[in-house]
Amino acid sequence: MDNPQISPGLHPNCTIVPPYLLVRLAKLDDPRFAQAAAAARASLLRDSQIRQLRGGTHPFAYSGARTLPARTPGQSDRTISDAGGQERLPGRRVRAEGQPAGSDPAVNEAYDGLGATQNLFWTQYGRDSIDGAGLPMDATVHYGKEYDNAFWDGERMVFGDGDGQVFNRFTISSSVIGHELTHGITQFTANLQYQDQSGALNESISDVFGALVEQHAQTQSTDEASWLIGEGLFTDQVEGVALRSMKAPGTAYNDDVLGKDPQPGSMADYVETEEDNGGVHLNSGIPNRAFYLVAEAVGGNAWETPGRIWYDTLTGTGLRRDSDFAAFAAATTETAARLYGSGGTAHDAVLRAWATVGVLTGSE
Amino acid sequence: MKVIVSRSGGMAGIRLTWEVRVEEQPDPATWADFLNSLPWDDVTDSEATPDRFAYRIRCAPHEVVIAEPQVNGPWRDLVNRVRAANGM
Repeated sequence: MDNPQISPGLHPNCTIVPPYLLVRLAKLDDPRFAQAAAAARASLLRDSQIRQLRGGTHPFAYSGARTLPARTPGQSDRTISDAGGQERLPGRRVRAEGQPAGSDPAVNEAYDGLGATQNLFWTQYGRDSIDGAGLPMDATVHYGKEYDNAFWDGERMVFGDGDGQVFNRFTISSSVIGHELTHGITQFTANLQYQDQSGALNESISDVFGALVEQHAQTQSTDEASWLIGEGLFTDQVEGVALRSMKAPGTAYNDDVLGKDPQPGSMADYVETEEDNGGVHLNSGIPNRAFYLVAEAVGGNAWETPGRIWYDTLTGTGLRRDSDFAAFAAATTETAARLYGSGGTAHDAVLRAWATVGVLTGSE
Repeated sequence: MKVIVSRSGGMAGIRLTWEVRVEEQPDPATWADFLNSLPWDDVTDSEATPDRFAYRIRCAPHEVVIAEPQVNGPWRDLVNRVRAANGM
Protein backbone atom coordinates (compact mmCIF):
# COMPACT_ATOMS: atom_id res chain seq x y z
CA MET A 1 0.00 0.00 0.00
CA ASP A 2 1.25 3.44 -0.87
CA ASN A 3 1.83 5.84 1.93
CA PRO A 4 -0.59 8.67 1.27
CA GLN A 5 0.85 12.11 0.86
CA ILE A 6 -0.70 14.77 3.01
CA SER A 7 -0.81 18.21 1.50
CA PRO A 8 1.00 20.80 3.59
CA GLY A 9 -2.18 22.76 4.32
CA LEU A 10 -4.09 19.84 5.83
CA HIS A 11 -4.26 18.99 9.48
CA PRO A 12 -4.87 15.26 9.71
CA ASN A 13 -6.60 15.24 13.08
CA CYS A 14 -9.99 16.81 12.39
CA THR A 15 -13.43 16.22 10.87
CA ILE A 16 -15.17 13.10 9.76
CA VAL A 17 -13.02 11.37 7.21
CA PRO A 18 -9.36 11.43 8.01
CA PRO A 19 -7.46 13.30 5.31
CA TYR A 20 -5.26 10.35 4.54
CA LEU A 21 -8.33 8.30 3.73
CA LEU A 22 -9.57 11.10 1.51
CA VAL A 23 -6.22 11.18 -0.22
CA ARG A 24 -6.47 7.45 -0.80
CA LEU A 25 -10.00 7.68 -2.09
CA ALA A 26 -9.11 10.58 -4.31
CA LYS A 27 -6.42 8.48 -5.96
CA LEU A 28 -8.59 5.45 -6.66
CA ASP A 29 -8.66 4.57 -10.35
CA ASP A 30 -11.21 1.79 -10.16
CA PRO A 31 -14.27 3.06 -12.09
CA ARG A 32 -16.57 1.51 -9.49
CA PHE A 33 -15.24 4.08 -7.06
CA ALA A 34 -15.18 6.98 -9.49
CA GLN A 35 -17.86 8.85 -7.60
CA ALA A 36 -16.30 8.28 -4.22
CA ALA A 37 -12.96 9.38 -5.62
CA ALA A 38 -14.44 12.53 -7.10
CA ALA A 39 -16.22 13.29 -3.84
CA ALA A 40 -13.06 12.70 -1.89
CA ARG A 41 -11.12 15.07 -4.13
CA ALA A 42 -13.78 17.72 -3.59
CA SER A 43 -13.72 17.11 0.15
CA LEU A 44 -9.97 17.43 0.28
CA LEU A 45 -10.12 20.78 -1.40
CA ARG A 46 -12.80 22.10 0.92
CA ASP A 47 -11.88 20.39 4.14
CA SER A 48 -8.60 22.15 4.35
CA GLN A 49 -10.62 25.28 5.07
CA ILE A 50 -12.74 23.59 7.75
CA ARG A 51 -9.75 22.02 9.37
CA GLN A 52 -7.89 25.29 9.44
CA LEU A 53 -10.90 27.01 10.96
CA ARG A 54 -11.57 24.42 13.59
CA GLY A 55 -8.13 23.76 14.95
CA GLY A 56 -7.92 21.84 18.22
CA THR A 57 -8.10 18.14 18.77
CA HIS A 58 -10.83 16.06 17.28
CA PRO A 59 -13.01 14.53 19.98
CA PHE A 60 -13.13 11.19 18.20
CA ALA A 61 -9.57 10.16 17.51
CA TYR A 62 -9.43 7.99 14.43
CA SER A 63 -8.42 4.44 15.22
CA GLY A 64 -7.64 3.33 11.68
CA ALA A 65 -9.88 0.30 12.16
CA ARG A 66 -12.47 1.25 9.54
CA THR A 67 -10.16 1.93 6.61
CA LEU A 68 -12.10 1.20 3.42
CA PRO A 69 -14.31 -1.62 4.67
CA ALA A 70 -15.71 -4.03 2.14
CA ARG A 71 -19.13 -2.58 1.50
CA THR A 72 -21.55 -2.24 -1.35
CA PRO A 73 -21.66 1.35 -2.57
CA GLY A 74 -24.99 2.98 -1.70
CA GLN A 75 -25.73 0.64 1.17
CA SER A 76 -26.50 2.60 4.31
CA ASP A 77 -24.50 2.08 7.47
CA ARG A 78 -26.60 3.54 10.29
CA THR A 79 -26.00 3.58 14.01
CA ILE A 80 -28.49 5.11 16.43
CA SER A 81 -27.43 5.97 19.96
CA ASP A 82 -29.45 7.06 22.98
CA ALA A 83 -28.17 9.96 25.11
CA GLY A 84 -30.70 9.09 27.84
CA GLY A 85 -31.56 12.72 28.55
CA GLN A 86 -27.94 13.76 29.02
CA GLU A 87 -26.02 16.19 26.83
CA ARG A 88 -23.14 13.80 26.29
CA LEU A 89 -22.41 12.34 22.89
CA PRO A 90 -22.62 9.82 21.40
CA GLY A 91 -24.61 8.04 24.13
CA ARG A 92 -25.43 4.35 24.36
CA ARG A 93 -25.57 2.48 21.07
CA VAL A 94 -29.09 1.07 20.64
CA ARG A 95 -29.53 0.10 16.99
CA ALA A 96 -27.05 -0.77 14.28
CA GLU A 97 -27.61 -1.28 10.56
CA GLY A 98 -29.83 -4.25 9.82
CA GLN A 99 -31.14 -4.68 13.34
CA PRO A 100 -34.93 -4.83 13.69
CA ALA A 101 -37.10 -1.98 14.92
CA GLY A 102 -37.65 -1.75 18.66
CA SER A 103 -40.27 -0.08 20.82
CA ASP A 104 -38.74 3.43 20.95
CA PRO A 105 -40.32 5.59 18.24
CA ALA A 106 -37.44 8.10 18.32
CA VAL A 107 -34.92 5.36 17.52
CA ASN A 108 -37.11 3.91 14.78
CA GLU A 109 -37.84 7.31 13.23
CA ALA A 110 -34.16 8.29 13.24
CA TYR A 111 -33.18 4.97 11.68
CA ASP A 112 -35.86 5.20 8.99
CA GLY A 113 -35.18 8.89 8.34
CA LEU A 114 -31.49 8.28 7.77
CA GLY A 115 -32.41 5.43 5.43
CA ALA A 116 -34.84 7.65 3.50
CA THR A 117 -32.16 10.32 3.16
CA GLN A 118 -29.55 7.87 1.94
CA ASN A 119 -32.13 6.46 -0.47
CA LEU A 120 -32.89 9.86 -2.03
CA PHE A 121 -29.27 10.91 -2.45
CA TRP A 122 -28.04 7.54 -3.70
CA THR A 123 -30.84 6.62 -6.10
CA GLN A 124 -31.42 10.11 -7.50
CA TYR A 125 -28.01 11.77 -7.43
CA GLY A 126 -25.59 8.87 -7.02
CA ARG A 127 -24.29 10.32 -3.77
CA ASP A 128 -23.15 7.71 -1.28
CA SER A 129 -23.85 9.11 2.18
CA ILE A 130 -22.87 12.46 3.68
CA ASP A 131 -19.36 12.61 2.27
CA GLY A 132 -20.15 10.91 -1.03
CA ALA A 133 -17.88 8.05 0.02
CA GLY A 134 -20.11 5.91 2.23
CA LEU A 135 -19.47 7.59 5.54
CA PRO A 136 -21.35 5.75 8.31
CA MET A 137 -24.45 7.67 9.36
CA ASP A 138 -24.62 8.22 13.09
CA ALA A 139 -27.43 9.76 15.08
CA THR A 140 -28.17 10.33 18.74
CA VAL A 141 -31.73 10.60 20.11
CA HIS A 142 -33.03 11.67 23.54
CA TYR A 143 -30.37 14.37 23.76
CA GLY A 144 -30.76 16.63 26.79
CA LYS A 145 -33.75 17.28 28.99
CA GLU A 146 -36.81 18.64 27.17
CA TYR A 147 -34.35 19.77 24.52
CA ASP A 148 -36.11 21.81 21.81
CA ASN A 149 -33.74 21.23 18.96
CA ALA A 150 -32.01 19.00 16.45
CA PHE A 151 -28.63 19.68 14.91
CA TRP A 152 -25.73 18.31 12.93
CA ASP A 153 -22.59 18.65 15.06
CA GLY A 154 -20.04 18.01 12.33
CA GLU A 155 -20.04 14.26 12.90
CA ARG A 156 -23.54 13.14 13.78
CA MET A 157 -27.18 14.11 13.86
CA VAL A 158 -28.52 14.93 17.30
CA PHE A 159 -32.22 14.99 18.22
CA GLY A 160 -33.93 16.35 21.33
CA ASP A 161 -37.25 15.12 22.73
CA GLY A 162 -38.85 18.57 22.75
CA ASP A 163 -40.53 20.07 25.79
CA GLY A 164 -43.91 18.45 25.15
CA GLN A 165 -45.65 21.85 25.37
CA VAL A 166 -44.49 23.55 22.19
CA PHE A 167 -42.41 20.87 20.51
CA ASN A 168 -42.78 17.13 20.09
CA ARG A 169 -39.70 14.96 19.56
CA PHE A 170 -37.59 16.20 16.65
CA THR A 171 -37.42 12.81 14.90
CA ILE A 172 -41.16 12.99 14.24
CA SER A 173 -40.67 14.66 10.86
CA SER A 174 -38.53 13.10 8.13
CA SER A 175 -38.01 16.57 6.64
CA VAL A 176 -36.19 17.53 9.87
CA ILE A 177 -33.99 14.44 9.67
CA GLY A 178 -33.22 15.15 6.01
CA HIS A 179 -32.54 18.78 6.93
CA GLU A 180 -29.91 17.84 9.52
CA LEU A 181 -28.20 15.31 7.30
CA THR A 182 -28.04 17.82 4.47
CA HIS A 183 -26.08 20.16 6.74
CA GLY A 184 -23.48 17.38 6.74
CA ILE A 185 -23.51 17.19 2.94
CA THR A 186 -23.15 20.96 2.67
CA GLN A 187 -20.21 20.81 5.07
CA PHE A 188 -18.50 18.32 2.77
CA THR A 189 -19.26 20.25 -0.41
CA ALA A 190 -19.91 24.01 -0.77
CA ASN A 191 -19.39 24.44 3.00
CA LEU A 192 -21.40 27.66 2.96
CA GLN A 193 -20.53 29.98 5.81
CA TYR A 194 -23.24 29.95 8.47
CA GLN A 195 -23.79 33.69 8.54
CA ASP A 196 -26.01 36.15 6.65
CA GLN A 197 -26.95 35.20 3.06
CA SER A 198 -24.53 32.28 2.69
CA GLY A 199 -25.90 30.99 6.00
CA ALA A 200 -29.48 31.40 4.79
CA LEU A 201 -28.50 29.42 1.68
CA ASN A 202 -27.00 26.73 3.90
CA GLU A 203 -30.33 26.61 5.74
CA SER A 204 -32.40 26.67 2.58
CA ILE A 205 -30.44 23.80 1.02
CA SER A 206 -31.18 21.76 4.14
CA ASP A 207 -34.88 22.61 3.84
CA VAL A 208 -34.92 21.81 0.10
CA PHE A 209 -33.44 18.35 0.50
CA GLY A 210 -35.31 17.78 3.76
CA ALA A 211 -38.55 18.34 1.85
CA LEU A 212 -37.33 16.16 -1.02
CA VAL A 213 -36.46 13.30 1.37
CA GLU A 214 -40.08 13.36 2.56
CA GLN A 215 -41.59 13.72 -0.91
CA HIS A 216 -39.40 10.96 -2.36
CA ALA A 217 -40.20 8.59 0.50
CA GLN A 218 -43.93 9.22 0.11
CA THR A 219 -43.85 9.42 -3.71
CA GLN A 220 -45.47 12.84 -3.73
CA SER A 221 -45.34 15.05 -6.78
CA THR A 222 -44.98 18.82 -6.42
CA ASP A 223 -48.78 19.18 -6.57
CA GLU A 224 -49.34 16.58 -3.88
CA ALA A 225 -46.62 17.64 -1.43
CA SER A 226 -47.17 19.91 1.57
CA TRP A 227 -43.87 21.78 1.12
CA LEU A 228 -43.78 22.09 4.90
CA ILE A 229 -40.67 21.65 7.03
CA GLY A 230 -41.23 20.00 10.37
CA GLU A 231 -44.86 19.03 9.97
CA GLY A 232 -46.09 17.42 13.21
CA LEU A 233 -43.29 18.92 15.26
CA PHE A 234 -45.58 21.35 17.09
CA THR A 235 -47.85 19.95 19.78
CA ASP A 236 -51.62 20.39 19.57
CA GLN A 237 -51.29 23.42 21.84
CA VAL A 238 -49.61 25.46 19.11
CA GLU A 239 -51.54 27.25 16.38
CA GLY A 240 -49.46 26.12 13.46
CA VAL A 241 -48.85 23.29 11.01
CA ALA A 242 -45.06 23.27 10.79
CA LEU A 243 -41.86 25.28 11.32
CA ARG A 244 -41.69 26.62 7.80
CA SER A 245 -43.54 26.62 4.51
CA MET A 246 -41.46 26.61 1.34
CA LYS A 247 -44.50 27.25 -0.82
CA ALA A 248 -45.73 30.19 1.27
CA PRO A 249 -43.04 31.42 3.66
CA GLY A 250 -44.49 33.24 6.64
CA THR A 251 -47.65 31.11 6.90
CA ALA A 252 -46.52 28.03 8.85
CA TYR A 253 -47.72 29.22 12.24
CA ASN A 254 -49.48 32.10 13.96
CA ASP A 255 -49.57 31.50 17.67
CA ASP A 256 -50.18 33.51 20.85
CA VAL A 257 -46.91 32.36 22.39
CA LEU A 258 -44.66 31.94 19.35
CA GLY A 259 -46.02 34.84 17.36
CA LYS A 260 -46.35 34.71 13.61
CA ASP A 261 -44.01 32.81 11.29
CA PRO A 262 -41.54 35.60 10.39
CA GLN A 263 -40.10 34.14 7.19
CA PRO A 264 -39.98 36.43 4.14
CA GLY A 265 -40.75 35.06 0.68
CA SER A 266 -39.04 37.77 -1.33
CA MET A 267 -36.18 40.26 -1.13
CA ALA A 268 -38.64 43.09 -0.48
CA ASP A 269 -39.14 41.64 3.00
CA TYR A 270 -35.53 40.55 3.65
CA VAL A 271 -34.85 40.63 7.40
CA GLU A 272 -31.76 42.48 8.63
CA THR A 273 -30.94 41.19 12.09
CA GLU A 274 -28.04 40.25 14.30
CA GLU A 275 -29.99 37.37 15.84
CA ASP A 276 -29.72 33.84 14.50
CA ASN A 277 -26.41 34.48 12.71
CA GLY A 278 -27.99 37.20 10.62
CA GLY A 279 -31.41 35.59 10.33
CA VAL A 280 -30.30 32.40 8.59
CA HIS A 281 -33.56 30.62 9.54
CA LEU A 282 -35.62 33.62 8.44
CA ASN A 283 -34.17 34.70 5.12
CA SER A 284 -33.91 31.08 3.99
CA GLY A 285 -37.59 31.57 3.10
CA ILE A 286 -36.50 33.49 -0.02
CA PRO A 287 -34.39 30.75 -1.67
CA ASN A 288 -36.87 28.15 -0.33
CA ARG A 289 -39.65 29.79 -2.26
CA ALA A 290 -37.44 30.09 -5.35
CA PHE A 291 -36.97 26.32 -5.28
CA TYR A 292 -40.70 25.73 -4.88
CA LEU A 293 -41.42 28.05 -7.84
CA VAL A 294 -38.99 26.08 -10.01
CA ALA A 295 -40.71 22.84 -8.98
CA GLU A 296 -44.13 24.32 -9.66
CA ALA A 297 -43.10 25.50 -13.12
CA VAL A 298 -41.41 22.24 -14.09
CA GLY A 299 -44.08 19.98 -12.56
CA GLY A 300 -43.86 16.31 -11.69
CA ASN A 301 -41.49 15.09 -9.00
CA ALA A 302 -39.43 17.87 -7.45
CA TRP A 303 -36.48 15.59 -6.67
CA GLU A 304 -35.96 15.05 -10.40
CA THR A 305 -35.13 18.15 -12.49
CA PRO A 306 -35.32 20.84 -9.73
CA GLY A 307 -33.52 18.65 -7.18
CA ARG A 308 -30.85 17.74 -9.71
CA ILE A 309 -30.18 21.40 -10.50
CA TRP A 310 -29.83 22.27 -6.80
CA TYR A 311 -27.73 19.18 -6.06
CA ASP A 312 -25.33 19.79 -8.93
CA THR A 313 -24.97 23.41 -7.90
CA LEU A 314 -24.25 22.46 -4.29
CA THR A 315 -21.65 19.88 -5.22
CA GLY A 316 -20.16 21.67 -8.21
CA THR A 317 -17.53 24.35 -8.40
CA GLY A 318 -19.75 27.41 -8.87
CA LEU A 319 -20.14 28.35 -5.21
CA ARG A 320 -17.82 29.94 -2.69
CA ARG A 321 -18.07 29.70 1.10
CA ASP A 322 -19.51 33.20 1.18
CA SER A 323 -21.76 33.05 -1.88
CA ASP A 324 -24.82 35.25 -1.53
CA PHE A 325 -28.32 34.82 -2.97
CA ALA A 326 -27.38 36.45 -6.28
CA ALA A 327 -24.35 34.19 -6.68
CA PHE A 328 -26.45 31.13 -5.90
CA ALA A 329 -29.13 32.27 -8.34
CA ALA A 330 -26.49 32.69 -11.06
CA ALA A 331 -25.01 29.28 -10.25
CA THR A 332 -28.36 27.45 -10.38
CA THR A 333 -29.23 29.24 -13.61
CA GLU A 334 -25.92 28.14 -15.13
CA THR A 335 -26.47 24.57 -13.92
CA ALA A 336 -29.98 24.47 -15.38
CA ALA A 337 -28.72 25.71 -18.76
CA ARG A 338 -25.85 23.23 -18.76
CA LEU A 339 -27.96 20.21 -17.78
CA TYR A 340 -31.23 20.94 -19.56
CA GLY A 341 -30.35 23.43 -22.30
CA SER A 342 -30.20 27.19 -22.45
CA GLY A 343 -33.67 28.60 -23.00
CA GLY A 344 -35.29 25.30 -22.09
CA THR A 345 -38.16 24.87 -19.63
CA ALA A 346 -35.90 24.27 -16.63
CA HIS A 347 -33.55 27.16 -17.40
CA ASP A 348 -36.50 29.47 -17.90
CA ALA A 349 -38.15 28.26 -14.68
CA VAL A 350 -35.02 28.97 -12.65
CA LEU A 351 -34.64 32.47 -14.10
CA ARG A 352 -38.28 33.29 -13.45
CA ALA A 353 -38.20 31.91 -9.91
CA TRP A 354 -35.25 34.05 -8.86
CA ALA A 355 -36.86 37.09 -10.51
CA THR A 356 -40.16 36.45 -8.71
CA VAL A 357 -38.47 36.43 -5.30
CA GLY A 358 -36.55 39.57 -6.23
CA VAL A 359 -33.04 38.12 -6.30
CA LEU A 360 -32.52 38.48 -10.05
CA THR A 361 -33.84 41.58 -11.73
CA GLY A 362 -34.53 42.47 -15.35
CA SER A 363 -34.94 38.89 -16.54
CA GLU A 364 -38.70 38.54 -16.44
CA MET B 1 -31.27 45.89 37.61
CA LYS B 2 -32.47 43.32 35.12
CA VAL B 3 -31.03 40.51 33.06
CA ILE B 4 -32.43 39.46 29.69
CA VAL B 5 -31.60 36.17 28.01
CA SER B 6 -32.63 35.85 24.39
CA ARG B 7 -32.22 32.53 22.61
CA SER B 8 -32.33 32.60 18.81
CA GLY B 9 -31.57 30.09 16.09
CA GLY B 10 -31.99 26.40 16.60
CA MET B 11 -33.45 24.21 13.87
CA ALA B 12 -36.79 25.95 14.37
CA GLY B 13 -35.33 29.46 14.20
CA ILE B 14 -37.77 30.64 16.87
CA ARG B 15 -36.57 33.31 19.32
CA LEU B 16 -37.46 33.05 22.98
CA THR B 17 -36.67 35.71 25.57
CA TRP B 18 -36.58 35.41 29.34
CA GLU B 19 -36.20 38.39 31.67
CA VAL B 20 -35.52 38.71 35.37
CA ARG B 21 -35.94 41.92 37.39
CA VAL B 22 -33.48 41.40 40.18
CA GLU B 23 -35.23 43.60 42.74
CA GLU B 24 -38.46 41.60 42.31
CA GLN B 25 -36.74 38.32 43.20
CA PRO B 26 -36.95 36.85 46.72
CA ASP B 27 -33.12 36.95 46.93
CA PRO B 28 -32.02 40.13 45.07
CA ALA B 29 -28.61 40.32 46.76
CA THR B 30 -27.73 36.78 45.67
CA TRP B 31 -28.80 37.61 42.11
CA ALA B 32 -26.76 40.83 42.05
CA ASP B 33 -23.65 39.08 43.36
CA PHE B 34 -24.06 36.29 40.86
CA LEU B 35 -24.52 38.69 37.92
CA ASN B 36 -21.50 40.73 38.98
CA SER B 37 -19.39 37.58 39.23
CA LEU B 38 -19.99 36.49 35.62
CA PRO B 39 -16.94 36.59 33.32
CA TRP B 40 -18.47 39.22 31.00
CA ASP B 41 -15.16 40.31 29.51
CA ASP B 42 -13.91 36.80 28.78
CA VAL B 43 -16.47 35.93 26.12
CA THR B 44 -14.92 35.42 22.71
CA ASP B 45 -16.51 34.91 19.30
CA SER B 46 -16.79 31.41 18.00
CA GLU B 47 -17.58 29.94 14.57
CA ALA B 48 -21.34 29.54 14.10
CA THR B 49 -22.50 25.97 13.59
CA PRO B 50 -25.73 24.88 11.90
CA ASP B 51 -28.92 24.82 13.94
CA ARG B 52 -27.34 25.44 17.33
CA PHE B 53 -28.86 28.10 19.56
CA ALA B 54 -27.26 31.50 20.05
CA TYR B 55 -27.74 33.21 23.43
CA ARG B 56 -27.72 36.99 23.74
CA ILE B 57 -27.37 37.97 27.38
CA ARG B 58 -27.89 41.56 28.46
CA CYS B 59 -27.38 43.09 31.88
CA ALA B 60 -26.46 46.76 31.59
CA PRO B 61 -23.76 47.75 30.90
CA HIS B 62 -22.89 44.25 29.71
CA GLU B 63 -24.03 42.45 26.58
CA VAL B 64 -22.59 39.20 25.25
CA VAL B 65 -23.54 36.69 22.55
CA ILE B 66 -22.57 33.11 23.28
CA ALA B 67 -22.97 30.10 20.99
CA GLU B 68 -24.75 27.15 22.58
CA PRO B 69 -21.68 24.87 22.75
CA GLN B 70 -19.92 27.58 24.80
CA VAL B 71 -22.80 28.06 27.25
CA ASN B 72 -21.08 26.21 30.09
CA GLY B 73 -20.18 26.79 33.72
CA PRO B 74 -21.56 30.06 35.12
CA TRP B 75 -23.29 30.94 31.82
CA ARG B 76 -25.17 27.69 31.85
CA ASP B 77 -26.05 28.37 35.46
CA LEU B 78 -27.32 31.83 34.52
CA VAL B 79 -29.51 30.56 31.67
CA ASN B 80 -30.99 27.88 33.93
CA ARG B 81 -31.64 30.37 36.73
CA VAL B 82 -33.29 32.89 34.41
CA ARG B 83 -35.48 30.23 32.83
CA ALA B 84 -36.41 28.85 36.26
CA ALA B 85 -37.36 32.34 37.47
CA ASN B 86 -39.67 32.53 34.44
CA GLY B 87 -41.23 29.21 35.31
CA MET B 88 -39.73 27.19 32.45
